[in-house]
Amino acid sequence: MLAACELDDKDKEGLKKDCSAPPAALKSAPRLPGNFPRAQGIVYTAVRKDGPTTIASGYLAQTIGPAHDAYSHAVKGAPGYDVTKEEQDAADAEVNFAGGGNTGQVKLLQTCKARTSVTITIRPA
Amino acid sequence: MTRVALIIAMTLALAACGGSGHAHGKPLVIVVNAPFTRTPYLGRTIENGVRLAVGEVNAAGLRVGGTSYELRVQTKDSALSPARAVSNVRSAADEHAVAVVDEGTGIDASWRVARGLPICIVFAGGARAVDPTTRPNVFRIAPTDHGVAFRLAEYLIPKHLRIALLHDDSDYGSAGASALAAAFSQNRSSVAVDETVPADALDLGPQVLRARRAHATALLVWGRPATIASAIAAARSSGWDVPVFAPPTGADPFVRQQLADHPSWVNGLTFAAGRLTAEVGPGPFTSFEQRYEGAYGVDRVGVKTRAGQEVVEPPETAMYAYDFVNLLAAALLKAGSVDPGKVTRALEEVTTEGANGDERAFNRSSHEGVVDDDVYFARFSDMTYAPVKDDPLSATLPTIDQTR
Repeated sequence: MLAACELDDKDKEGLKKDCSAPPAALKSAPRLPGNFPRAQGIVYTAVRKDGPTTIASGYLAQTIGPAHDAYSHAVKGAPGYDVTKEEQDAADAEVNFAGGGNTGQVKLLQTCKARTSVTITIRPA
Repeated sequence: MTRVALIIAMTLALAACGGSGHAHGKPLVIVVNAPFTRTPYLGRTIENGVRLAVGEVNAAGLRVGGTSYELRVQTKDSALSPARAVSNVRSAADEHAVAVVDEGTGIDASWRVARGLPICIVFAGGARAVDPTTRPNVFRIAPTDHGVAFRLAEYLIPKHLRIALLHDDSDYGSAGASALAAAFSQNRSSVAVDETVPADALDLGPQVLRARRAHATALLVWGRPATIASAIAAARSSGWDVPVFAPPTGADPFVRQQLADHPSWVNGLTFAAGRLTAEVGPGPFTSFEQRYEGAYGVDRVGVKTRAGQEVVEPPETAMYAYDFVNLLAAALLKAGSVDPGKVTRALEEVTTEGANGDERAFNRSSHEGVVDDDVYFARFSDMTYAPVKDDPLSATLPTIDQTR
């Protein structure tokens, strides 16, 4: 129980922390399955495949609220995409989606004062 | 209205309707359609989850459209028979039940005979069972087979294992076979053998031997608890220490009961399931578990740890059933009516706080209450399980105490 509470508090601590240098950006924006939409300002830092699933990592130079809004709007505005569930807490948010023949989740975590990490998981539907 | 505001509004509305704390009013029946005789643990835990929420809703009072109601629970045994499950749902509709909480057997036919009555599946995860467009009255709060199969593929394929996929010929196993076929379709080189086995078979020696001869380095067994126990027994009794992976049925007490004479055989069994705790931590789930145990006692697995402690099963499926009843109560208030069509539509518009502190909600584009990314992995040791450390989500989750 303590471990999970500590993790939660640690997440919230990120809201006050100054940001260190951001991770290196990919040289070119990756083409994600199903033409998954780009949120304005997203900087991609890595893309990998875990079996059938594509996982893209990156960040937005924003706090959690605007970052969540950016992805919510991007997904809702993309042709053929739906937000199936979304949720926001103090330091983290999730936007679950279906579209482009895939389903998945955008997981957002504010890691410092002005940066939110983004993990996009895209699975074939 | 934001979701948080809606949760608060619904909670206040339920509380505001409260009176003396004693239920009075017109009976409103929730039918629990589950395999009480064939898989007693599953049936009982679904029923208990429903009864716990019903007690709390009734204690707060439920006033819908100017009439006071008292929720009641009626159980019907499906015996894992699709025909019986369908018959049960038909009679629930005939008897004007307000909703059915369902294990999932027979849903491909029962949704139609329900005549608009909302049905919530709290166990079976089959892909076609839930579709807001073609089956608007069917909802689910349970991990989907799609989520479990893809999460297993994501976890296992990067480990470069050669996986034997064994699935039994039950409805549950067949649905799992379809989900696994999709999840491994892009990585067939990871599959050593893909075989259907008889459900509830006592001896899976020949099938497990074929997997071994195919140079499998992992077994992924998707089936009823008896199938998983038989596969483990066949592998271990032949001296094959292959890692075994399973869907949520791997955690069913029956698996451990069947292998109780050889507790070490259970060690290492890894299963995928819906996370028990949310981002807020284990507090809300622990509180739910305490209320559940206070009302119905612990769900004893029937085995002990090496130190002699009694092993108990956390009420995961009960949590899903409990959450649906709370969503149903919120939907009744929102609809201002007990009309099945209106309640079904209202179920797409309400949000409640689930037993684990996470939001539970459906909407027009999704009738799924558990997202695929909430599937985690846990591994057995000494008859209890703990989240694995080599998966990003699982590594963040606390271990729930399973001894008393």
